[in-house]
Amino acid sequence: MSRPRLLALLCLAVAIGPARASEPRPLAIAIHGGAGVIDPAKMTPAHAASYRAGLAAALDAGYAILERGGSSLDAVTAAVRTMEDDPQFNAGRGAVLNHDGDAELDAAIMDGHGPRAGAVAGVRHVRNPIELARRVMEKSPHVLLVAEGAEEFALEQGVVLVPREYFRTAARVRELEEARRQAGELKAAAPGPSGTVGAVALDRAGHLAAATSTGGLTDKHRGRVGDSPIVGAGTYADDDSCAVSGTGQGEFFIRQVVAYDICALVKYRHLTLAQAVRELIHEKLRRSGGEGGVIAVDRYGNIAMDFNSVGMFRGARDSRGRRDIAMYRDAQ
Amino acid sequence: MRSKSAQEPHRYAIAIHGGAGAVPRAMLSKLREQRYRAGLEAALDGGFALLERGGSALDAVTGAVRVLEDDPCFNAGHGAALTRDGAAELDAAIMDGRQLRAGAVASVRHVRNPIELARRVMEKSRHVLLVGSGAEEFALEESLVLVPNLYFRTAERQEQLGSEQRGERVSDLVPAAQGTVGAVALDGDGNLAAATSTGGMTNKRPGRVGDSPIIGAGTYAKNGVCAVSATGHGEYFIRAVAAHHVCAAVEYRALSLEQAVREMLHGILPALGGDGGLIAVGGDGQIVMDFSTEGMFRGARDSAGRREIAIY
Repeated sequence: MSRPRLLALLCLAVAIGPARASEPRPLAIAIHGGAGVIDPAKMTPAHAASYRAGLAAALDAGYAILERGGSSLDAVTAAVRTMEDDPQFNAGRGAVLNHDGDAELDAAIMDGHGPRAGAVAGVRHVRNPIELARRVMEKSPHVLLVAEGAEEFALEQGVVLVPREYFRTAARVRELEEARRQAGELKAAAPGPSGTVGAVALDRAGHLAAATSTGGLTDKHRGRVGDSPIVGAGTYADDDSCAVSGTGQGEFFIRQVVAYDICALVKYRHLTLAQAVRELIHEKLRRSGGEGGVIAVDRYGNIAMDFNSVGMFRGARDSRGRRDIAMYRDAQ
Repeated sequence: MRSKSAQEPHRYAIAIHGGAGAVPRAMLSKLREQRYRAGLEAALDGGFALLERGGSALDAVTGAVRVLEDDPCFNAGHGAALTRDGAAELDAAIMDGRQLRAGAVASVRHVRNPIELARRVMEKSRHVLLVGSGAEEFALEESLVLVPNLYFRTAERQEQLGSEQRGERVSDLVPAAQGTVGAVALDGDGNLAAATSTGGMTNKRPGRVGDSPIIGAGTYAKNGVCAVSATGHGEYFIRAVAAHHVCAAVEYRALSLEQAVREMLHGILPALGGDGGLIAVGGDGQIVMDFSTEGMFRGARDSAGRREIAIY
């Protein structure tokens, strides 16, 4: 390279450097409230408005934290907790019921800074499983605690336990009855993709985080655990690449290690976030017969939300002014 | 080219581990070492015999792991490490590299051979992972043998738990934190499989699940790429998505299997603070066994005539 050109490049680098530093770093959050759960034909305007309101509340709760300089970890925790408390979504209160008529809840959280992670599976009395997952990450040397052992830890940590009735809503009881009737009639019916809630975020410090929480599948076998609490499958975050939360047929997400694979494609194959998400959702997952979607954010604040199911309840907001809530393919 | 490979018998291979850990060499008695070696040989040869007569990689890893589960020397099945409550809580996973099918169980207390149950989950249920009493309910539905929890608790493990709880140095048993058993294999049809089974950490909190039953962390297999089984401090292997990372490094970055395993054990895991070991077999039958601890109980055998058992 000739000397003048090198000099010119150096000047350019110096000129860009301070300009970048003075620009505020991007903030971004994306959330999902499940993929493929509602047939558009059955979605009344009242239902749609109610879902939109629930998604907006979670999205804005998370974004408000980012905006006042809070961590991505706090933002995803708040967004997911909001949806856990909203009975419309399949997580926390209003979670779908297992074959025995109980809610059995799974959740995971991952901090891309570290990275470190916490997860719980098969809990039946923890009001906000995402809170417990976070305690596992922050207050225990472990990553995954399951069933009664996880609830023992919840008691030690002073996390709120509630009776099982708390989770059971009339709508979910009806769904279970319907599922049981169909199972009786049609033994081989494959389970449809289930709702699940999740959030991914990038904060001002450049840290990424992901969180996912779910009640799993309606009429599931007791003890069945899907991808949500599996680090790498339904939840993953790494400051060097991206943060991902998945929703859909969990078994397929586990086998494909979907969340981690998206980050590996970004990090090692240098795919853009959107390309990596497309590869997993429309190629690998679809080829294996799996249905669902993911939300993802990379370290530059790019957001990707994609699915191969009928729809995915989702929302995105960033510091460039984007704020949208959508359910179906046409961004409606 | 094609006709040549059709005439040549396909290569097949199996590798096993019985845990990575730091029993200082001087502390391991001759008698104990002989018992470990005999146990590893039985598992290795059992799995290899299946491959030799045309059996599948899936059957070979199931067979090898079942032998290690039944051997009280190893931290899986009978002789598993005990929780702080003095009970055995077992985890296992199996993966078929052909169609990326997988099955796993965690925190079961009455299933004699957890690897058998993991395989049933893969083959007879629509799920991948079942935990706790729900997994045992499924075991009953599948007519698997359930045993009282006492079956798993050996006097040695109870002693080990006692000394760990008193804060004393542990005996020359497979070290408390890191025992686990596993197997990886390539069969004559080119199919890869991986299986892992464990009692987890001695004195662990009930409900704690490590990397063994987590697909992508302690167990992974993908045809044409590799099959991996891990042993070590599970929490770190989960965060690093260790087993899948090794396969991704081979597939996406064209690293050799050896380089990929080395990067995980001597680069990524130490940076997080974790140690342990990995066994892996590639789609070409190449076996890699590496560890960052003082030793790893391991064995390898292939159709090219290699057969070895090693500890350090």
